[in-house]
Amino acid sequence: MNCDINIKQLQKNCWRQSKVPGEFMLQLRVPGSLIEAKHLERVVYIANTWGNGLFHVGMRHTLNVPGVKYENIPAVNAYIKDYISQVENEMCGVEMEESENGYPTIGARNIMACIGNRHCILANYNTQELAKKIEPLIFPSHYHIKIGMSGCPNDCGKGQCNDFGIIGQAKMDYVYDRCIGCGQCVEACKKHATGVLAMTEDKKVAKDACCCLGCGECAVVCPAGAWVRQPKKFFRITIGGRTGKHTPRLGKTFINFATEEVVLGVLGNWQKFSAWVLDYKPVYMHGGHLIDMAGYEKFKEMILDGVELNPEAKVAQRIMWAESEMRGQINVIPIGEHPVAGPQQ
Amino acid sequence: MGYSLNHRETNALFDRLAAEYKIYAPKRFAKQGRYSDTDIVRYDEIHTAEEIVWDQKSDFSAKEVLTPVTEPIFYFTEDEYRESGAPKKKILIFLRPCDINAFEHQDRIYLQNGGFCDSYYQRMREKTRFVLMECTEGWDTCFCCSMGANKAEEYSAAVRHTEEEILWSVKDEELTPYFAGCQEADWQLQFIEKNQFAVKIPEIADKETLAKLKKHPMWQEYNDRCVSCGSCTLACSTCTCFTTRDKIYSENAKAGERRRVHDSCQIAGFDAMAGGHGFRTTPADRIRYRALHKVHDYKARFGDYHMCVGCGRCSARCPKFISFPAIINKMSAALEEIAAEASK
Amino acid sequence: MTNPVMPKAHRILHINRETEMEYTFRIEADFVPEHGQFFQLSVPRVGECPISVSSFGEGWLEFTIRAVGKVTDQLFSMRPGDELFLRGPYGKGWPVEQLRGKHLVFVTGGTGLAPVKSWLNKLYDEPGMAESVHLIAGFKNEAGILFKPDLARWKERFSTHYTLDNDQIEGWNTGLVTKFIPEIPFDTFGGNYAVIIVGPPVMMHFAALEALKNGVPEEKIWVSFERKMSCAVGKCGHCRIDETYVCLEGPVFPYTVAKNLLD
Repeated sequence: MNCDINIKQLQKNCWRQSKVPGEFMLQLRVPGSLIEAKHLERVVYIANTWGNGLFHVGMRHTLNVPGVKYENIPAVNAYIKDYISQVENEMCGVEMEESENGYPTIGARNIMACIGNRHCILANYNTQELAKKIEPLIFPSHYHIKIGMSGCPNDCGKGQCNDFGIIGQAKMDYVYDRCIGCGQCVEACKKHATGVLAMTEDKKVAKDACCCLGCGECAVVCPAGAWVRQPKKFFRITIGGRTGKHTPRLGKTFINFATEEVVLGVLGNWQKFSAWVLDYKPVYMHGGHLIDMAGYEKFKEMILDGVELNPEAKVAQRIMWAESEMRGQINVIPIGEHPVAGPQQ
Repeated sequence: MGYSLNHRETNALFDRLAAEYKIYAPKRFAKQGRYSDTDIVRYDEIHTAEEIVWDQKSDFSAKEVLTPVTEPIFYFTEDEYRESGAPKKKILIFLRPCDINAFEHQDRIYLQNGGFCDSYYQRMREKTRFVLMECTEGWDTCFCCSMGANKAEEYSAAVRHTEEEILWSVKDEELTPYFAGCQEADWQLQFIEKNQFAVKIPEIADKETLAKLKKHPMWQEYNDRCVSCGSCTLACSTCTCFTTRDKIYSENAKAGERRRVHDSCQIAGFDAMAGGHGFRTTPADRIRYRALHKVHDYKARFGDYHMCVGCGRCSARCPKFISFPAIINKMSAALEEIAAEASK
Repeated sequence: MTNPVMPKAHRILHINRETEMEYTFRIEADFVPEHGQFFQLSVPRVGECPISVSSFGEGWLEFTIRAVGKVTDQLFSMRPGDELFLRGPYGKGWPVEQLRGKHLVFVTGGTGLAPVKSWLNKLYDEPGMAESVHLIAGFKNEAGILFKPDLARWKERFSTHYTLDNDQIEGWNTGLVTKFIPEIPFDTFGGNYAVIIVGPPVMMHFAALEALKNGVPEEKIWVSFERKMSCAVGKCGHCRIDETYVCLEGPVFPYTVAKNLLD
């Protein structure tokens, strides 16, 4: 191996270093985890032409081609021009100059999403359609952000392991006259959700709306069509989730029952917030660390800047993080080593 | 008499009818389906032709117009029951031939069975007129032809819907004056002659065979497949079961109403007596009970037709894809087995 | 248009506590039901339930009710002078006339004694109605014994076997009712008899099998069914078994019909 390789630069172009010297793995973005199947032919072509014939399903739902030799990277970058243009510019409306140099940045990680309501009987929204609207807000950018999107509070899209989780919720209407009092919604809510439904004395259903997850299980099981989702879509936004060696933790609810406009407003403010926290020098850190550095109050102020909250939305007053400490008191360190947020001297 | 009305003219007709009739038709409730971003089509009052869903089978049947899911029958105080009020206007229902035939079964149970005439049903039924929606194609869950329910006679008017116009054929003289001045048109009402599939109706020879069929292993698979939700029967156009419940008004605990609420033999507890003892305790028991009612018991009681018009709403609404026609065919196959066993 | 499900108010004349769980309500009413028929009893705000007539006389009806549901629980808090609501009578009662002049064998379990009580009292009052009366009455335990004065009276004129499933007390047998069926001298009846079985489903099933085992032909056995009912007029569907509505064709059935009624 006698090559002079700028690994950091390659990484920014969505190429991952291999333990095999001189080999790299391409990661193709699949925003919202859904693309036309025809693109898979390109993946097959890359793998068979420049890779080692293998394909890996990326852990962030990217299409990964391992075993590409360093010298073939320019050829692959040129080849994926059409893919990037069709998926990013055409499908998602990202305004990006078309080039033969591959991805311009890896900052905003691929937006993962479950299959959503185009298929799933439990999902409350079309995850991919919203992912396509989010993609131009965060990409291309050197500031990092990880987003996981799920159609329902089951969170198969692992939003709670991401900087942001966008979890589909429905506001439910109860059509009193259609209810036959069979109690199946009450059972389903108890079994799958928070048990906010109860039978009344006269065999109808009462709801303790405080803790409704908006999962829609009641509508799924109702044989009479007595539970219906309001047409407007709502989302639970979770923040600060992450995996990692130090302090993995599940994300916590930031806003419950936000509208799409609020989701887009919040995510649109992320770059500004990141840039401020990091003194305008993008480095790779999980979003949760940035929130910790700035403090939740500062995060809340900056991320909601200009965002008009819908009346149904409820915002976390504070966040009770629950980290898995891999080592006791890993956060108790000399004060001089504390990360500092905001512009530095 | 035949007429041709464009949609604007039809809407004007509906306006004229409104003085005397409430018009009910299959109507779209956008995004109110079981799953996100799916619609539900069910019967409701309409005022324009555009509100009528022509190209889709309604998820729930027209029975809901005459017997609402929740229907107050009495208002009570501590010492008096007062009957709930009757509808004031007449009722015009847009529905397909199978649905009209389904009302024969509703009529039989509510007006005749046991010599008791249910006054709540009767007061609605007397006021009801049918507008037959021509149906020549059906859908993949339909088997009306197998049940002999693809044609209907009892209607006041029939309609054919096209992009441009609605053709009317008016039989009922009560409706004729409303068409004064409308453009006459000659057209022939068609009925569907063949569904996408046919079912084999089981013939159960005697009580002994019936008992064997009840014990046949064919029902067991439904213990795994059926969740006893009752979607099939609630959507069914011929099912009539209800339960009676009392409601106390929260503002005045001494007053309230007694109401009927649709019920389903598929839901656990349907047969449970005070104290909890029930007779059909598994999904298989309940499916067997429903299936035999539809294609044996009812006919055994009344002698003429089976209690199924092949509208297929049961299969269409089943969240677990249990096909009722498949059950019927399995019953026929099981009977062949039983017959073969007996002749050994 | 008459409304078959319209309940009418009736005054409670008297309440007799038979057991902790079973009360007999005497209600002011002019109906003359058949023995074995039932009424829909209704308490506004709570609901309706079918209850068979346990006794009746000039201007009154009696219902013996077990506290096992919402309606019956509410009934138990009522007092004489209070009103409850009734509609009925419904269903087919015992074929009293058809069975006149026969030897009659009654086999009852628990509250199953209630639907035959008025008939038994009539048989007591008019000894000529039957050749002989045999009563096998079973209860779970001492606390469950119903109609104690009647049981004592019936002893005078009927051949009786009173038994408790579990308890052993003086003057009572111990064991299930089926144990005493072989003691009935069926062979002395010259074929002119009938067996009437009422009680919980399992008890009726085994009592009928025991009678058959003792040579009783199916057509001599009569039973009374209990099923969930909401309307009692053949509309609500709850009590249907095959092509039969228990509220219309029952609750009393000849065994030849009942044996085929498999839920």
